[in-house]
Amino acid sequence: MLDCEALTKAFDKTLFKNLDIHLGPGEILAVLGPSGCGKSTLLRCICGLESLDSGTIRLNEIDITNFEAEDRGIGLIFQRPVLYPHLSVSGNLSLASKSGHEEALEEVGLSGFEGRAVENLSGGEGQRVALARALLAEPNVLLLDEPFSALDSDLSVRLLKDVRQLLKKRKCPAILVTHNQQEAEMFSDRILEMSD
Amino acid sequence: MRRLASAFAVMLYSMLILIPIGLATQRLILVTGPNPYDWTKSLSENYISQNVLEFTLVQAVSSTLLTIIISLPIAWSLGRHRWPFESLIRTVLTLPFVIPSIIAAMGILTIVGPYGLDIRTNENTWWWTLIISHAWFNMALIIRFCEPLLSKLDPALEEQLRLLPHGRTRASRLKNLWVPLLLPSVVAAACMTFVFSFTSFALVRWITVRDNTLESVMAEVSSSAGIQGYMEPTSDIVMGASLIQFTILLTSLWLTSVIQRDRKAILPQARPEHVRKPNSRGWLVIVPALIFAVLPLISVVIGSFRIRDLGESGGGFRWGTDGWNQAYHGSFSFAPMSEAILNSLGYATITILVALPLGYALATTINDLEKRSPNLARLLDVFTMLPFALSAAMVGLGVLLGIIKLDVSSAYQFWALPSLAHIMLTTPFVVRIMLPAIRSLDNSYDENARVLGMGEFSRFVKIKIPLLKGSIIISSIFVIAMSLGEFGASFIVAKNSDWTTLPLLIDAWRAKPMKDPLSAPASNAVATVLMLITMGLFMFAERFRNNRDGGMF
Repeated sequence: MLDCEALTKAFDKTLFKNLDIHLGPGEILAVLGPSGCGKSTLLRCICGLESLDSGTIRLNEIDITNFEAEDRGIGLIFQRPVLYPHLSVSGNLSLASKSGHEEALEEVGLSGFEGRAVENLSGGEGQRVALARALLAEPNVLLLDEPFSALDSDLSVRLLKDVRQLLKKRKCPAILVTHNQQEAEMFSDRILEMSD
Repeated sequence: MRRLASAFAVMLYSMLILIPIGLATQRLILVTGPNPYDWTKSLSENYISQNVLEFTLVQAVSSTLLTIIISLPIAWSLGRHRWPFESLIRTVLTLPFVIPSIIAAMGILTIVGPYGLDIRTNENTWWWTLIISHAWFNMALIIRFCEPLLSKLDPALEEQLRLLPHGRTRASRLKNLWVPLLLPSVVAAACMTFVFSFTSFALVRWITVRDNTLESVMAEVSSSAGIQGYMEPTSDIVMGASLIQFTILLTSLWLTSVIQRDRKAILPQARPEHVRKPNSRGWLVIVPALIFAVLPLISVVIGSFRIRDLGESGGGFRWGTDGWNQAYHGSFSFAPMSEAILNSLGYATITILVALPLGYALATTINDLEKRSPNLARLLDVFTMLPFALSAAMVGLGVLLGIIKLDVSSAYQFWALPSLAHIMLTTPFVVRIMLPAIRSLDNSYDENARVLGMGEFSRFVKIKIPLLKGSIIISSIFVIAMSLGEFGASFIVAKNSDWTTLPLLIDAWRAKPMKDPLSAPASNAVATVLMLITMGLFMFAERFRNNRDGGMF
């Protein structure tokens, strides 16, 4: 259960003010809005990489507002796959868990990729590895920051369907940030629209 | 025409490098015999060189470790935090490396010497002084190798790791991210630091009281080496020290090159302004680092005006320009400073007139060969790097034993001779600076000029030179600064001649018995002049450095 109340953040302008978000187990929310409206900042505030100006975040009844990012148990998938180039696919997965690599890769359709060097992965494969790694860490909430926007639309649709299925299976709540209405409708249970 | 120029450049370079070294080796072997075992054995048997190898290795390893310990936090603070006057801070922290080592020696001696803090009193304290001096001299290497990575690495890598179970603590992020990513840069910089500490001459000569490194022992025995029937063990020492030094330097340089080549992974980068975060605590690292960097340099200037008072009070000091006057006018034993400046500028001019076109021609040849015959290109590339494995003393010995001793009286009439050593030492640097610039030139500029009907010379003048202007200026300044500050080779080549250079004059004034109250101020005055020239050149060169790729300085 994720409960965000009265979240407020401003840089040069107010990005969001008194924003409430409530997510139940396995519930998926899409945050839709144009570039620069503060969607990504919202995710970074929820996972603790940015600090809020005001508001509270509760996860499973615990107030995590002042927790460091590393102590919140929230996963984030960035716009571009953030994979460590000095590690193999398996090495990257080891950062989340020392075991279960085979199953995790199978889940994202990359069986047998354990030994691959990350520099040889395509954009879609890289993002699947990032997804497998995020899920291996068993996050309480998964945040997705336009994770498939750099991929072609067919692949992006296919991946979104797969991810939705995985999240539902695990009852993991998630927030997807996107500027694509169709993507938001297909992936989420609810849509939150943000504007400039 | 172009191929002819390439062939001429390769031939000239081969002659410049191989003839002096070959002739010197031949002369020494006539004295020592051809057995390398005898040469190396003589190092441990002769009282002059006993324990020299051990001392050289231990001090080089210790200096390298201390340099890493001191410099990594500086590189981290500089790379990861926002700083006002950032470019100035970086320039100041790089100064120790570009300032000639004889100036560093004078500055450090002013601080710790008998009329400074006077802590250089026993083996223990001069050991630490030497190690700290090497760390001071080389810290820019670690900073320049590591800081570009630290300031440009995409922050998402660390942010992502913070959200993963095995990146939640600082220690785990250090283990899983920073150590593996920084290690190649640190090891490459450490290899270079080791090389510079291993071949350090001016600092060893002036800071240690009794100990010698392979480099300084070679310089010390150089005048008696290579003469049959006269102090023959010194020839064995030179051969043994050269062989060991060449092997160790070659291994270190090979290791550096392997580490840099094997670093295949292209790291995701971000703009430095997105990476750097404000951090007021970073000043706790940067301020002491800045003080550490400038203190010996300021000491040189202060030391040039501080004169030991031999009056009734005794032991005191007064302030004055007597040292400057003495250095300016010279004495019965020492040439006036103007003569040293003219000589130094003359040698630098000859050096640049030869090293710049020669280095450019060699770099162009390597670039051309890479397209036609990659193996030949690699061979020439390695050959042009060969002098990096020869220390300044070895090059000086090559000129002394290979050229001067062929006909001593004629050679010492030839004023320009020290330039030969300077050309040998600087040409490889020109190649290393020019080659990446030539490689990155877009060939379509040349092709377009050809279809516009421009000839080879016209394309060279109107297209290539303007496009390579930055690298040409940086190499030129590098050559001038290296030649002006060159001490090791000049010490061997010119110490028995009538020619002096600024570094030799600094050394000579300082070597005068300390009872003369003007010896230290005069040497510091000459050092101040050389320091200002070098600093001016370096700051001018910085304006043309458009990317900090962690490679050649």
